[in-house]
Amino acid sequence: MIKIIKAGNHGIILPELSVGLDYSGTKADHIFISHAHADHMPRNRKLTVYCTPPTTRFMKLRGFGGKMIEMKFGETLETDSARITLYPAGHILGSAMTFVESDLGSVLYTGDYRTPPALATEGFALPNAPVDQFITEATFSLPIYKWKTEEEISAQIRSFASRSLYEGYTPIFTAYNLGKAQELMFILKELNHPMQIHEGGFKLCGVYEEFGIRLGDYDTYQRETCEGKILISPASALRSGFADNVKKTRIAYCSGWASNESRQSRLTVDELIPVSDHLDFFELIDLCNRLRPKKVWVTHTPNPDVVQHYLNNLGIDSGFLDLEAIAND
Amino acid sequence: MIENTAITRHSKSDFKSLAELAQKIAFTRANNAKIKLCANYFRELEREDVRRAVQFLGEGAYSNISGKRASIGHKTVAVLAAEFCEIDYDLVFRPSKNATGSTSETIQRLLENIPEARAKWSAENLSLEETEAIFEKLYHSKSRAAKQTVLLENWTKMTPLEVKFFIRMLGQGSLKIGLESTSVVEAIAHAFNKNSELVRFAYLITGSIGETAVLAKSDRLEDAQFKLFHPLSFMLADSIESKTLQHVEEFIAEEKFNGIRCQVHISGNNIEFFTRDLNNTTSGFPEILEFFKTRNLPDVVLDGEICVFKNDTILPVQLLQERMSVKKLTAKMLADFPVVFVSFDIIYHDGQSLFGDSLIERRKKLEKLAKQYHLPISSQKEINSNADVEQLFKQALAHGNEGLVLKRKDSVYEYGQRRKSWLKVKKPSVSLDAVILYAHADTGKRNGTYSDFTLGISVKDDDRYEEEFIPIGKTNCAFSDNKVAELNKRIKELVIDRFGPTLLLKPDLIVELEFDDIRINQRTKAKYTLHLPRFKTIRWDLSPSDVDTLKYVERMFDEKLAQKRERQGDNPSFVMY
Repeated sequence: MIKIIKAGNHGIILPELSVGLDYSGTKADHIFISHAHADHMPRNRKLTVYCTPPTTRFMKLRGFGGKMIEMKFGETLETDSARITLYPAGHILGSAMTFVESDLGSVLYTGDYRTPPALATEGFALPNAPVDQFITEATFSLPIYKWKTEEEISAQIRSFASRSLYEGYTPIFTAYNLGKAQELMFILKELNHPMQIHEGGFKLCGVYEEFGIRLGDYDTYQRETCEGKILISPASALRSGFADNVKKTRIAYCSGWASNESRQSRLTVDELIPVSDHLDFFELIDLCNRLRPKKVWVTHTPNPDVVQHYLNNLGIDSGFLDLEAIAND
Repeated sequence: MIENTAITRHSKSDFKSLAELAQKIAFTRANNAKIKLCANYFRELEREDVRRAVQFLGEGAYSNISGKRASIGHKTVAVLAAEFCEIDYDLVFRPSKNATGSTSETIQRLLENIPEARAKWSAENLSLEETEAIFEKLYHSKSRAAKQTVLLENWTKMTPLEVKFFIRMLGQGSLKIGLESTSVVEAIAHAFNKNSELVRFAYLITGSIGETAVLAKSDRLEDAQFKLFHPLSFMLADSIESKTLQHVEEFIAEEKFNGIRCQVHISGNNIEFFTRDLNNTTSGFPEILEFFKTRNLPDVVLDGEICVFKNDTILPVQLLQERMSVKKLTAKMLADFPVVFVSFDIIYHDGQSLFGDSLIERRKKLEKLAKQYHLPISSQKEINSNADVEQLFKQALAHGNEGLVLKRKDSVYEYGQRRKSWLKVKKPSVSLDAVILYAHADTGKRNGTYSDFTLGISVKDDDRYEEEFIPIGKTNCAFSDNKVAELNKRIKELVIDRFGPTLLLKPDLIVELEFDDIRINQRTKAKYTLHLPRFKTIRWDLSPSDVDTLKYVERMFDEKLAQKRERQGDNPSFVMY
């Protein structure tokens, strides 16, 4: 089996193949970046990395100065010792799972992913070959996490906006600037009501349009004109004055963590919308059971023991790779 | 022939509707909107269902004055739920509970999510009446096994949302939906077009929010009558900062006894004692029961204080707590810590409630009764100057009492109120330096910030403990919003772990705490808790090594017990006719 090493806080390396996964160091010849969220992007700005075309755009806009080599989904890179292919991960636009094949066996590294895929992504697909080792994130690693269907969540999002507007309130959705914000816009565009997006998210929307994902009638947030529009902003901006000139607002917190009721009192919001860009606990266990790898490596999780307990019961060997995670769902 | 005789149940009278309403209230931020939701719901219910629904929302499974409890612990419920879901308690349930911070929410979500659990329940739309019967059945089941059987049997008939609120109601605590009992009172007034003051008074008199709702619905609020053996909420004293008072001559002074406040209801040989939380505490004081039995009093309700009294001296209340903490009173306990009930007010006499009478009139009746039946009653002193107050205050402290209560002569008995008619003068409190161990998210006015804290003292060099710090009390900080924000900023940097709304912190923030007293509490690690702890200031200048030790707390406690107490002598705290 391929040897897998956790490189401190700098991602994962497969030393025999000189492959780095979401890796920030210099000990790998070929580094693959799963997507453009801060906890997966390389911290070393001088690296050369492989990623999907949308990810190259996002990383450039978010300040990555290294060299990026574009790799489309399904394209295979052949190195001296391995064949590497990217598969759509369904997490955000451009997010990719990395499939590494070699004489030593195969590894599928998920990065962050969602199946069924999130809206406003390229979908989700698995390689058509056996996976020996499956390195999976497990952000929502408890059976209390089970997502509603896409239809139910979309309905809740639209109804929160239209109900607020109808009652004279300006609806504000708090969501991460890359991925969640655009997913909400994609869902909300059907209301045909103007939207304003926090500038950090606004500058990323063009990439979506470039890759054919229409986000509707939107503009960058302007304090003077935001009243009565549908507003989307990261939660942190709300604490530093976002739309605080508007008297009547209603706030919806949009995150997988919103399924925990305690979030409501902690955040002072009107509605919790548990929309996640990660797969839920049951989907995770189910996927492992379908893939039946020789070994599952669990990463990005506060509760590896719970996942491993369930995998054990299914007779699937597993281990924990303790990678640093930033809660940006 | 097709018969159409299906009995249609009133749509709102099932427990599911109540649970759905509670959930909706939880996600409604404005208090007025919460009240309106409740009111609309109450209005559509039949009389007995109004009683049940209001009862469940306002007080929980059992009426407070019924004295009934489910007596079933969180852990028992949690273990049972794990079994129901066919999951491992330690490996799966416990981490789930740590993530939500709530046993009942965890159970709700596991019942919704886990296929093995889903297969077991179906929504049978239990009526409020049936739900009440289940609560009764739980109360009457004495063994844990019997209670578990009742729970398991009924969880199969409820939706997970119903189960969540069912469990919260069993706890007799908050439903965690941000609905205070004052808001339920408002909702009753709103629903039945009544003056909310009238509803509130009916609640205080009847002691039952469910009965109050029935009275409001049937236009009989004025029927709310004080009844013997239904404890009335106590009249409480407000604090005054300085001992100087305007128009001091309008008040009388009594010593504030170092004891336990108690209401005694007597009718023939039926005698019951109630504490401030309206719990029946009769069995704890057999000698007082015996005392009253020998007096042949007319029907009466007395308000007063139970004190440990020995060798003509009032002994510390801590000794009484020691006595109350044992399961069975021994002859030695009774001999070592003899108690006396000192009356200081009378609120019912011979078929008449007296709380509308002035203090002077009530006192006359009390004195007459005391003389006739030989009862101990508080010494009441006229005061003409602040110097008098000072002198009596010193006398009270010398007796081992807490200070004085100044009572306005023309005041009525304001049950359930803490207003300015009674004022307490207390000695300055003591302080110690403690460290913040846990922060709890506020759900009230400062929604979303951390302003409730569990505080710890040091046991670093204490052989009895392995920890560095252990909890000594929990309190809310009454700082300005700016200061709380500053504190919250620092807290975020110290987080080690999260349990739902609770944060485990690295011990680093030192707080100067003020408190009134130290109490024994066998259920805590320290065996002591601080009584009425308050934040005085954050000591940014101190480090964890400066935190006071448990040994220091124990020394303070011992010194308090050993404090010199004067005999009652010529100027006693109470008189026995």
